[in-house]
Amino acid sequence: MSTSSSSQLFRSLTSDIRHFFRNPGLVGVTSVLVLLLLVFIVFPIGGVLLKSFTVTFPTVTILSENKVSDQAEAESKVTQTILTALESLQGIEEVRPETQEKRSVVVLRFRKNWDDMRGLNDAKRALKKEEEKLAPYVAKMDFKLGQEKIKSLGTYVDFFSKKYYWVALRNSILLAIVTTILVVCMAFCFAYLGLKGPDCVRGPLRLLGLLPLIAPPFIFALSLIVIGGRKGILTKALMLPFHIYGWPGVIIAQGITFLPLGYLMIENVLRSLNPNLDDAASDMGASDIQILFKITIPLAAPGILKAALLVFIMSIADFGNPMLIGAGVPFLATKAYFLWISEANLEMAAVFCVFLVIPSMIIFIVHEYILKGKMYTTIGGKPQQTEKRKIPLKIFGPMMTIATPVSLMIVVCFGVIFLGAFTKILMIDNSFTLEHFESTNGIRSLMSSLKFAFSAALIAPVIGISLSYILVRKRIPFKRVLEFLALLGFAVPGTVMGIGYIISFNAPPLKLTGTFAIMVINEAFRNLSVGLEAGVSKLQQIDVAIEEAAVDMGASALQAFFKIVLPLISSAFVAGFIYTFMVGMIAVSAVIFLISPGNYLASLYILNVAEEGFLGMACAISVMLILVVLACLGSLRLLQKYTKSTFF
Amino acid sequence: MATGINSMILELRSITKRFGDLIAVNDVSFSAERGKLITFVGPSGCGKTTLLRVVSGFAEPDHGEVILDDQNVTRKSPNARDTAMVFQNYALFPHMTVGQNIAFGMRIRKRPKGEIDKEVHRLLALVKMEGLGERKPHELSGGQQQRVALARALSLNPKILLLDEPLSNLDANLRVTMREELRRLQRRLGLTIIFVTHDQEEAMSISDLLVVMDQGIVKQVGSPTEIYEKPADEFVANFVGHINFFPGEVMALSGDEMDLQIPQGKLRVKKSIFLVKVGDKVKLVVRPESVNLVDAKEELTGTENVIEGSIEVAMYIGSIIRYTIRVGDQIVYVDRADPQYSGIFREGSRVKLILKKEIHMFKASSL
Repeated sequence: MSTSSSSQLFRSLTSDIRHFFRNPGLVGVTSVLVLLLLVFIVFPIGGVLLKSFTVTFPTVTILSENKVSDQAEAESKVTQTILTALESLQGIEEVRPETQEKRSVVVLRFRKNWDDMRGLNDAKRALKKEEEKLAPYVAKMDFKLGQEKIKSLGTYVDFFSKKYYWVALRNSILLAIVTTILVVCMAFCFAYLGLKGPDCVRGPLRLLGLLPLIAPPFIFALSLIVIGGRKGILTKALMLPFHIYGWPGVIIAQGITFLPLGYLMIENVLRSLNPNLDDAASDMGASDIQILFKITIPLAAPGILKAALLVFIMSIADFGNPMLIGAGVPFLATKAYFLWISEANLEMAAVFCVFLVIPSMIIFIVHEYILKGKMYTTIGGKPQQTEKRKIPLKIFGPMMTIATPVSLMIVVCFGVIFLGAFTKILMIDNSFTLEHFESTNGIRSLMSSLKFAFSAALIAPVIGISLSYILVRKRIPFKRVLEFLALLGFAVPGTVMGIGYIISFNAPPLKLTGTFAIMVINEAFRNLSVGLEAGVSKLQQIDVAIEEAAVDMGASALQAFFKIVLPLISSAFVAGFIYTFMVGMIAVSAVIFLISPGNYLASLYILNVAEEGFLGMACAISVMLILVVLACLGSLRLLQKYTKSTFF
Repeated sequence: MATGINSMILELRSITKRFGDLIAVNDVSFSAERGKLITFVGPSGCGKTTLLRVVSGFAEPDHGEVILDDQNVTRKSPNARDTAMVFQNYALFPHMTVGQNIAFGMRIRKRPKGEIDKEVHRLLALVKMEGLGERKPHELSGGQQQRVALARALSLNPKILLLDEPLSNLDANLRVTMREELRRLQRRLGLTIIFVTHDQEEAMSISDLLVVMDQGIVKQVGSPTEIYEKPADEFVANFVGHINFFPGEVMALSGDEMDLQIPQGKLRVKKSIFLVKVGDKVKLVVRPESVNLVDAKEELTGTENVIEGSIEVAMYIGSIIRYTIRVGDQIVYVDRADPQYSGIFREGSRVKLILKKEIHMFKASSL
């Protein structure tokens, strides 16, 4: 059974390959796309992986030009003497002596992180003591500082042996677990009440459940600081002895930030449940609470699990919230940033990245390939129009108790940002002002954000849609692999892609670090999935027969693509463009590694001024970003209405 | 409370149910006898499903009362009523096995585990699903899902079993098998069943009593024979089977017979069940199979109620042949059984139609 199916698989693969190579145009386009994916997605991720297994050791090389007659003499008179002299040297891991004809070369490899200047001086001092013995044979002695890169698990050993490092992993996992539980509970209440609650709460909850989507991802951290930071409104007004920085702040901020994600997925699965199942259970004598726990929740479980997995990776990968409000509590993403920016320890940063990637990859694979399609399709036949069941107080009460404070928090967070942007110092000097909007640096950062997002948004959908066309319409071998590579940039946390780009594009032939281009390329390749998905869904709506008709009329495959397919999928391109633009405007996690002095982005500028305490300015730029995002969402909506299609 | 004395298990008293401006059920009153199979039948949107949902408690009537076994249950929620429903799409819980589905209601009522297991076993055997208790619903065929839904509904020994178009998702052959099986089960266990369907053939074949509905109103309540042979109005007549209508006027009354003038000639028929006088307009209802056909050249003596026509279409269906016959300005359908034996008239040939003396009719004004 299994052998026959695998041989069948093999046969279909070979026929795919044969078919593929018969079409030179397809081979050309596919190769270019594969090359791009390899260079800009696989190469950087591979670079990170490689880097994490590399340990750099400081070395001192002693070069001695000898006045001796042959190699044997050089060996006995000089090399051996040097070795004896160095015997008591500290911090040495390895000594490699070598006698080349009349020269003696001794390489000293010091322990990792050993101060190489100290090693050099120690060696010089030790040799000075033997100067008398050496002087007759040595013409000239040179010392060279160097490095040796060795493949080893040393950095991992380091990681696990020092709490300073591993605590970040523990914290990140803990944070992700707490955030996930919190978001799933909140999202379930929002979704359940939004669908089945009384009319007066349905609308507001639906709106509030989605509202955080329009905000740059760290805006809630920002408003929490304004409210409950050291000098926060609430902290001061109530003279609270504590502030929101650290764990509580990060958890609350992430909870609100990821609420829409959980809400959308759980609402979707609840909506798909056949209402007759509730009726049947009720008919069998089950009470509303029994229906909730025995029918609704078990049936929604696959959707809830999916939502939980997504929130989990988003929480681990999140950079902005822990950065802004984490107050030094180490988490993987932020700590990796600090390892790079303040310690220049790329090897350890790479190890951090590996720990960031592992959960995302596991969950991505589980999500894409195992959970896909594992939903209870419960609507069979025609679902009957049923009278809305009234939610009893026993369910409504507790759910509202969760949903109300969360809703209030969302409203207050947005309110604070808007008020903060238009007042001198919120709650201290409430006079109206526009001065926060007048910062030249702020405007300049907004301009480069626009340029950055626009450029990325031009590239990403072109590549994404080309890929979608090949994946949907063409017979190519290893389709799944290609698809996987394209989605990889999206699945891998931004921090990893940022560090990967630094590691990989720091040397010729692709020396890109410090340029504007690297930021754009990074952003584009992290967002291929958007164009890809929009393209796939659009292409699936277009009958292949339309293209075949064009070919039947005498058009070449290329003409058919440009004259028929392209006009039809142009709306997918526009959708991909707007979406990538929107995401680019609020990007933080990968670009923060790649920015160069002239190209400061608005989203990063907010982080910066907020950390320095210019909260008004941070609010003002946030307001502008929210407006840009709203405009993007509005145009997406219009586009969908105009073209009568759905993209995502 | 004394129960079981009243032979009526269910009584609906002037039930009205509105959805916004739409009156889904309009002042319906009706009683159901214990141990009978009653069918609500009518075209889609006639209110039959809504009426069923009022009985089960999923819809609360705007007006009227539901009396179940001498108890007023109008305001009781479905889980507090002794009714059990089989849904059109079966509504099996997809995350539970067949056994767990059937046991659900008993578990909710916290029956002892041993008892539940025994009952599940018995019910599985009852619906001929032995050994399939561990399957999940999606591993079952449509007919099997149907049986599980039925077993689940029976698990709580409901006073009434409510079936909402239970056979509509099955293919034609299975539908016939299942309805026969359902009927046998109902007779054997003495179940009271309310069955909702839009399929008149299904309704006729399975029921003790039919409730024909249209636009929220009950048009007629009666046995299949009554509904078919003595439809209360044109709607009911049209709804069950094919029909020919002849407009007529009463010309004379004599004894238990009367003379009628129809466009194609004169008829002498038995007196109608309602009172008529000379000059009244009536509508005659003639089923296609109740008309006899002979060749036009044949001499008929002493035979009344003969009209002549010509055959336009002869459609051979196998068990019958259906003629479309032009009689004056009117098209009349006539079915003749056993065409192999009785012979077939060619299209275009002239025939004589012989109508029976007993013709069902209603007053033309009632239309």
